[in-house]
Order: sequence, then C-alpha cells, then structure tokens
Amino acid sequence: MARVQLINVKKIYQGKVTAVHDFNLDIKDKEFVVFVGPSGCGKSTTLRMVAGLEDISEGICKIDGEVVNDLLPKDRHISMVFQNYALYPHLTVFENMAFPLRLNKRVRTDSITGKTIKGYSQDEIFQKVTEAAKVLNITQYLTRKPKALSGGQRQRVAIGRAMVKDCKVFLMDEPLSNLDAKLRNQMRAEIILLRKRIQTTFIYVTHDQTEAMTLGDRIVCMRDGFIMQVGTPTELFEMPDNLFVAQFIGAPMMNTFNTELIREGKSYSVNLFDVKIPVTGEKGDMLLKKDIESRPILLGVRPEHMALSVKQDKASIPVTVEVCEMMGSEIHVHVTTKDDTKIIVRIPTINMTQEEKDKIIPGNEVFLSFEAKAMHFFDPEDEKNLLAGPRAVNSKGLIVLPPVEEQPEDEENAGGEEEAKEEPKSDANQEELAKQIAALKEAEEAAKKAKEEAEAAKAEAEAAKAAAEAIKAEEAPAEPAKEEGKSPIKRHKYDVDIEKHNKEREKKEAAEAEALKHKRGPKPKGDK
Amino acid sequence: MATKKLASLSGRRRAGNIASYIGLTLISIIWIIPFIFLVLQSFDVATTSLTGNVWPQKWGFDNFIFLFSGDCDFLQWYFNTFIIALCVCVGQTIMQIMMAYALSRFRFRLRKAMMNVMLVLGMFPGFLTMIVLYEVLKTLGMTGENAVPGLILVSIASSGMGYYVAKGFLDTMPKSLDEAAMVDGANRFQVFYKVIMPLCKPIVIYIILTSFMGPWGDYIFAATLAKNISEGFNVATGLSTWLSQANIDSYYKYFCAGGVVVAIPVIVLFLFLQKYYVEGVTGGAVKG
Repeated sequence: MARVQLINVKKIYQGKVTAVHDFNLDIKDKEFVVFVGPSGCGKSTTLRMVAGLEDISEGICKIDGEVVNDLLPKDRHISMVFQNYALYPHLTVFENMAFPLRLNKRVRTDSITGKTIKGYSQDEIFQKVTEAAKVLNITQYLTRKPKALSGGQRQRVAIGRAMVKDCKVFLMDEPLSNLDAKLRNQMRAEIILLRKRIQTTFIYVTHDQTEAMTLGDRIVCMRDGFIMQVGTPTELFEMPDNLFVAQFIGAPMMNTFNTELIREGKSYSVNLFDVKIPVTGEKGDMLLKKDIESRPILLGVRPEHMALSVKQDKASIPVTVEVCEMMGSEIHVHVTTKDDTKIIVRIPTINMTQEEKDKIIPGNEVFLSFEAKAMHFFDPEDEKNLLAGPRAVNSKGLIVLPPVEEQPEDEENAGGEEEAKEEPKSDANQEELAKQIAALKEAEEAAKKAKEEAEAAKAEAEAAKAAAEAIKAEEAPAEPAKEEGKSPIKRHKYDVDIEKHNKEREKKEAAEAEALKHKRGPKPKGDK
Repeated sequence: MATKKLASLSGRRRAGNIASYIGLTLISIIWIIPFIFLVLQSFDVATTSLTGNVWPQKWGFDNFIFLFSGDCDFLQWYFNTFIIALCVCVGQTIMQIMMAYALSRFRFRLRKAMMNVMLVLGMFPGFLTMIVLYEVLKTLGMTGENAVPGLILVSIASSGMGYYVAKGFLDTMPKSLDEAAMVDGANRFQVFYKVIMPLCKPIVIYIILTSFMGPWGDYIFAATLAKNISEGFNVATGLSTWLSQANIDSYYKYFCAGGVVVAIPVIVLFLFLQKYYVEGVTGGAVKG
C-alpha cells in the first residue's frame, strides 16, 4: 500500500532514443492506474522503471515517499505479473509461489508463532501459498509443474506468486494479452475481484482499451512516450483531450469529419454533407461558455452516437451500406456517403425494427443521423478538443502535465491526496518546466480549473476512503488477527466470503491442503 | 489418376529412403571398422606385434592384465589423464556457463567487440600458441614430470572461448525469468544458481561431456609439455610411444588394449548423459 510518484521521469536509450518524455504522475495509495496506448508508446518502459528493471535516465521515482531510483527491484517492495507469466519451469506451482517468500530474509515477526525470525518459516510459507492458491482456485495444481497447466492456470499462478509477497505496489505488464478472448474476459473479472481483496496500489499496463476502461480508477493514455491524457475512464471517453485519445478509447473508433462550426447568436450548428445539424444540449452550452466563434473544425462522433434509419428526415444524410458486422448484441455497419467518406455506425440489435433489419444490408441506401449532444469538436491543426480544459504543451505540441508536487510528510500522512502546490521545485528540470507552463497564455485559468478539479478529486477520494472504510469494517473479523499477529493461525480476510458462499468446498480444500502438507512434510522442498 | 500419381510419389519416396539407408549404412561400417579392429586386436594374445589378421588367433585378457600389472607406466598415464579431465571438466563447465550467462544477459561496453575477437581467435588452431605457452609454463615449472597442472591450467584458462553453444542456449531463455526472480527478491547470483542453472541442465551436461573428452584425447600439447618424461604423460602421449618403430612389435597389442581401456570412461559417461547431450545441443541450436 503506497503512493507512487513519478516526477519528470525520462527514459533515454543509448543517449539517443527517448522512449519516455517528462512523465509526471502521482498515483494515490490503493489506486488502480492503467497505462494504455499503442505499441511503442512507452507504457511498459515506464512500468519497468517503477519496477527497477530499467534505469531511470532522468527524474525521480518515489514509492511510499522513498526515492527508489537506485534501489534494486528486490528492495522496492513490489510484485509484478509479466506478460508471459515468467513462471520457473523447473519448480512446481507451490515452489513457484513460495519462491519470493523463501528469498525474503528480512527480520520480521512470524504471523503464526509471533516470534522474531529472519524471513518466513516453513509453516508460514505453506499457509500463505495455500491461502493464495485457494483464493485463485489453483489448490489442486500445487504439485504440478507449469508446463502441465493451461494458459489461464499459469496466469493465476503468476498472480499468486505476486500475491503472496507483502508488496506495496502491484505491477502488471499486459498479463492478459496471451490469453484467448473468452479467458481474458474471465480473468479481467477476476482481477477486479482480486483488486478488491488486495487493498494495494496497482499499476496495470495494457494496449487494450477495454481492459483499461473496465479495470482502471484512472487511465494514463500514452503516445510516443508522452502522456496524452490522465483521467477516469468516463473522462477519457466523454471528454477526450485530443483526437488521439478520442480515437484510441472506444471501439469501433470515433468517426471524424472535416467541417465548419457555425455560430448564429447563441446557437451553434455544424454543416455536415450539406446538412445543417444543430448542436444542442450540454455541448452547445459549453461552446457558448467558451465563446467559440464560427471556425473550421474536426468533428468527432462515436459510432454509437449515430443512428441509421430507413426513412429520411431533414437532419439525416443518405448513405450506402457497405459492410454489416454482426456482433451479436449489436451490428457495426460500415457506410459510405456520396463523397465516399467512410463511416462506422454501431446499432444495438435489440432496438432494430424488422424493417430496419431487412433494409440495413450491404448495397442499400439508408439515412444517417447524429446525436448532437455527443459530438466532439477538435481543432483541425493541433487536434485538441475545443471544449477540454487548457493544457500545458511542449514544443512538439504534446501535453506536459505539471510536475507532481512534493508534500510534507504530515500532509501525506493526513490524507494521501495530491494537492496543487504553487511553489516552484528546486530541481532544474522542474523549474524549466514550470517556466514553460507559466509562459502559456491560459495558465491562470488552468490553475483555477486544476484547483477546482483537485477539490472535486479530494471530495471523490474522501468518498472512496469512506467506502473503503465501510468495506474494511465489513471485513473486520479477519483483520485484527492480521494486525496483532497473536492468533496462532492467521486467517485470510477473504475466507469469510468463501466460507459464506461455499462451506463444503472449503472443507474439501482444507482436507486436500492438509493432505498435501503431510505429503510434503514439515519442510516442503519442492522437486529438488 | 490421382491414386496412380500418389502411388508413384510414395514409390519414389521409398526408393529415396532405401538409397539413403544404404549410403548411411556404408558410411557407418567404414566409420566403425577401426573400432572393431582395435577391440578384436586387444583380445589377441597370440603375439604382441602387428599382424595381418583381423580375427584374434588366440583370445585372452593378457594385454589388459599387462596394462594394470605395473610392468608399464600405463596406470600413471591413465591417472594423469583422469585428473586432468576431471579438473578441466569442472573448471570449464563453471567458466563457460558463467561466461555465457554474462554475455547473454549483461550489456556492457565492448561486449560485442569481445565476442568478435574471441570468434576470430577461435579460428586459429590452438597449437599456434604452443611455443609461447610452453615457455610460460616452463618458467612456472609446469613441464616435464609436472605437466599435469600445466595442462589443467591452460585448458581451464582458455575455456571461456567455448561459450557459444551455452550462450545460444541461454539466449533462448526468456529474460523475464531473470526479471521475475529479481522482483521476487533474488540478487544476480541467486538468479543464476536458483533459476538459470537448473534450466541449463542440458547444456551443462553438454559442456561436461565435451570438456571431459577434450583432455582425454589431447596429444600435441600434452606431448610438448611432458618432454619425453613418462611421469608427465597422458594416455594419448604414453600410448603413442608404444607405436614408435622400436616398440611397435613388442607393444602393439598392448596399445590396442590401452585404446579400449581409454574409451571406457568416455563411453560410460556418454551413455549416462546421452539423453541430455542430444537435448542440450538441439536445445541450444534451434529452441525458439
């Protein structure tokens, strides 16, 4: 359980290739942050820098307030799940999971006997491994070697190995990308449950936007080593900062059209394929609030915010159906306009009438309409969202987030939430960055907005904290034993749920574990 | 029509296979004849000289008994060779696997240059350096009757050069294994001996076999260092003295028996480790 801070972190390979530029991020305690982006965007590199598997070329990485730049991975109190699981092929599942515990030689208090010992006792290792195996439902595979397991089972073992270690930060590098689609969905759900059980900070790397959206409290969308946007899944989906984020998040990809935003008094409209579509609702109000005049724009409309009809109305455009992709609950319809613009529309099949089902087939002409309140307006030159808050940009026109502010220890302990801080940092890079930010035209407004956002985030965090406390209170019966270390047998807090839901299975598994313990003897040595 | 074509294809394949097997059998016979000849001659106790007979005139173990009777220095040579082979085997295995691990996993300045230099140096025949090494070892007092430590030293010192196969094998091992172990709390040495070494079993066996067999058959360098002093001979050097013009008539059959005895440890070792040997070579070469 720890806060992770990345301050102006850079990764430069061989002094030439910069893989990660000025990465600034403050990950709150127990937060689940997902790094998402296309291949080569620097997300894995950043994660590996946190893990200590890559050197940090510039900047600072802090875990739980401690600068870890020069610490070895083993001293960072982290656990990691690798893309290819990285299980030790010569060891059994039990030994794989026990591996980090056997290597731990720190002086600590034994949770079973209460004595001060170096590392973990054999009984404690056995207990921890079997508990984790039970949670992951791999108890029956403990004596097997990894080669005798399926992909999903191996993945569970890899998670189990990371789980048994008392870590501050849980790192996952595309752990689901080697699984088939069905298993991936299943494991995704299990990771969500796991996250609820293990109250720790998670950093998860993926190139799959669905994983990012479903798992993350916050998503860090990256491109070419730069952070493009940081925000909650909803923020990224509903208010993308730029066209890249807009098109990366959401499937199928957002449709874009070069067109004109027209202002007539207090009302706005867009001219699309010679049809004037009024911009109504919240988006219209936001445009007015920003006082945006008539101008050329890049209009973005998500496929689910369009509709196809067999009847024409005054705001619809005639299009020809090219391809229909039946997805089950929805159809992705590829259509083309008269000027050969290609558009993808997503239609839920449940809402389709029989007439629509008959007419929306390749080759037919249908009519396309737009949901004006869900339109996105981008600057055609820098591809930034006209309605998004002002952002600091660097010389390449890419977003530079303000550096993570240092907080006094007492503040960190008090709440753990990050607050905007006005004092410049002593570090030369940060001063330079601060100057760049100060030079921006709308810096003042940004600071104001940031403050508002921080307040909102604080309120949200407080609510989350209250919720976490409520959950903790629910799990209270198992917790005191863990903290005090007085109970001879430490019961895992999740056991409560398991017992509640499946007592019979619990008994069976306990018997199996006991049998295994006897089989292995007091000092399990694997297959050596 | 299609069936006829298929039958013709199958027939051609069968004919090709038969031709291949005939060719391979002939090559095998040619290859194995000297060994059979050697073994048969070692059991011929009718005469000690080289005769035209392949099949022994009189069967017996006298030639073998002579080797271990103390009437000749064969036991000394055999012991020398065994000590050299054992020490070199241990030393080379450790050196080669560590060298291969370092070159496979670490990235350091001049790494590639070093590998290239070793590749080029490896192309020169080893005996080119013999004179220089002889002078160095002579200075250190490791020639003549003290040739054994000299041979061990030279063989172990140059063992890092043969890292290629082991490095190839290690390169096929995912680096994420090392990384996972490091995250789990292992230091570099723990990663090496707790994770990498157990997985390197096939290639370790391969190195053990090759490094054991190397000194067992070494002649030129061993003969140079021993300087005609029998106490410093290994079996190859010692047995070769029995083939000199002066000795061939008196010792030829003993030479054959010595050849058979020399082959025994290598054959036994090979039989025990054969499975891993094959696995090691193919694993290092093609495993993706």
